[in-house]
Amino acid sequence: MAFTIVSQGTFTQPATAVNQVIPLPSGVDYFKTYNYTQMATTQTTGRNVIGEWFGGGISAVNDGISWVKANSANTLTASTFATLGSTGFTYVTVAPSPQAALTGTTITAANPAVASVTNTYSNGDQVIIYNAVGMEQISGMTFTISSVSGSAFTLLGLNASGFSAGATSFLVRKVTSSPVGLITPVAPSYLYVTAVTQAAQAQVTTSQQHGLVVGQKIEFTIPSSFGMVQLINFNQPGSKPPIVVSIVDTYNFTINVNTTNYTAFAFPASSGSPTTQLFATLAPAGQSATFNPITNVTTGYNFTTVPFRSNIFIPYMLVPSGAQNPGGSASDVIVWQAYKMETGTINAPVPS
Amino acid sequence: MTFSTGITGIQNMAPELPVQASEDLLSTPMFNLIHSFGVDLHHAESYIGKTTRMSRFERLSTEGGQLDGSGIDPASEVPVRTDIDATMEIYAKSIVTNEQVVLWENSKTLTKFTALLGQWLREKEDLLMRDLFSSSVSYINATGGLNGDQPSNISLNDVNNIENILLGNDARSMLTNLEATLKFATAGVRDAFIALANTNLSADLQKVQGVLLKSAYPTQEGIRPEEYCSISRFRFFVSSKAARTPGISLKGNTVYTIPMYGLEAAAKVEQNNYTAVVGYRPPWVVSSVAQNSQLYAKFAIARAITNQNWISGLNVTTFQPS
Repeated sequence: MAFTIVSQGTFTQPATAVNQVIPLPSGVDYFKTYNYTQMATTQTTGRNVIGEWFGGGISAVNDGISWVKANSANTLTASTFATLGSTGFTYVTVAPSPQAALTGTTITAANPAVASVTNTYSNGDQVIIYNAVGMEQISGMTFTISSVSGSAFTLLGLNASGFSAGATSFLVRKVTSSPVGLITPVAPSYLYVTAVTQAAQAQVTTSQQHGLVVGQKIEFTIPSSFGMVQLINFNQPGSKPPIVVSIVDTYNFTINVNTTNYTAFAFPASSGSPTTQLFATLAPAGQSATFNPITNVTTGYNFTTVPFRSNIFIPYMLVPSGAQNPGGSASDVIVWQAYKMETGTINAPVPS
Repeated sequence: MTFSTGITGIQNMAPELPVQASEDLLSTPMFNLIHSFGVDLHHAESYIGKTTRMSRFERLSTEGGQLDGSGIDPASEVPVRTDIDATMEIYAKSIVTNEQVVLWENSKTLTKFTALLGQWLREKEDLLMRDLFSSSVSYINATGGLNGDQPSNISLNDVNNIENILLGNDARSMLTNLEATLKFATAGVRDAFIALANTNLSADLQKVQGVLLKSAYPTQEGIRPEEYCSISRFRFFVSSKAARTPGISLKGNTVYTIPMYGLEAAAKVEQNNYTAVVGYRPPWVVSSVAQNSQLYAKFAIARAITNQNWISGLNVTTFQPS
């Protein structure tokens, strides 16, 4: 049993195809995908129908062997994903860390902000933006990106319309393609706060998809450079952490704090960098429960949703979506297989 | 004693194991295990489910409460509770050994590999706790250093800022009681909070105003080797594996994360009877021809930040770019 299939499975892409994360507890030395849907048809522009990945550093990150059908024909040709200009496999064995930097040209001072940079990113990717010239107040923050094209993406979690100017250049690193919208090894995680309204129940905006649920408690860390310091725990009456009372959308939620008379929340000016204190953040502080000692009833939150836990199972294979990528496009049925050598590696096989 | 290896070519060279079973076996490097220092240890009993719930009652309101002599009771207050949940997870590692290794090349491999697996157990546990600190805590960028980066290198003002946050939130220092004395000694700074830093920050820590290096502590007895210095009310412990993220500062340098906390800020939950399981699968189980045996180690752990008020920290860069 020197080399065998250790795991296999199948997935069907939804109407909007997404990157697939496939946990591989046994590790993997060879990984293969078949696009069963595209196997049975031809397209005007040929599709990837088989993808192969080799361990031991033979397949580079975002790469592997791509078997592609010719345009409007069943003829197969093989090359690497990189050679074809498409995106291949990434085998992840450690907690996500930033990839190589890309240099962007502009970030608009708009709602939402739009960043222009030549990229191969996907919707839902997490990126860190830094050295944003003219917009240094966001340098170092992590964002979930959307509306991704090869030349730009949108920061749905950043209303930069109040900024004095946009960025005239910036650097960006992709951190992860995690579909759950979180980038840290452990969940729930800290998040960057980009806006807090002055309202009876303040609405909070985060730069990433927050993943919070009603009933969660959170602690704010807000430097004075961001204004609304009254939200900091020790400025709160009774030092009780705010509670999430409603989820507006994946970037916005409301809390049980009346901020009407608080100092307005606002980003500091870019010119304050690097000495201005950054950033406004929030961190998970448990869940709110009320115990009534008369009725012996506890009420509060969904008790099954929010424990501290590993955010992403590691190791996993990232299978990117796309017509030319191994994850396929909308409604494609993909079959995958993972192979493992029991002893040795592909570079140093043990004679049997 | 040395053994003959019987090598006839590069295809059947001995595995990368010492060919001597003697005192020449050198130590395996191990990084400082600091990420459970000052963390509460909880135990999960068997058969109570996968999730451990830790609960804290919020203190009652101190407003009002005076009796006016009329016989009317004061309003009662419904206690409010904060639940902290943590999911138990299991981690495992194994080593497969061919009988030929034992037969021809090496002896005492089981002993050596058991030691390696034991080291893996504790190292993995430490890294899991590190990931908890780096994921689920808010950090403030240091700005008091002079390297012109964002965040800057660490300074006394930055350390004092975190102390102000912890004290403002009524955090308790942890080096005051007998148990802490036995674990850490209290010679450097008594009544202190704990800070965890990467070893790459050691040069910068030395330069912080008011730093007291470990070697200058008035008493050396019982001081942990992982401790590096004390600054203000914090005692700094260092590890080469402490959290860092490369290339994301304003200038594109590595950003280091320093958790700084007091008593009951975080918890490690151990599953009863599953904190360190080491086992052996003999060849007749692993292999159809009884040639490969297997050693394994596994453990269960759950982790949680149990009080965000009592933990904070700094993002810093180094004075010399790293």
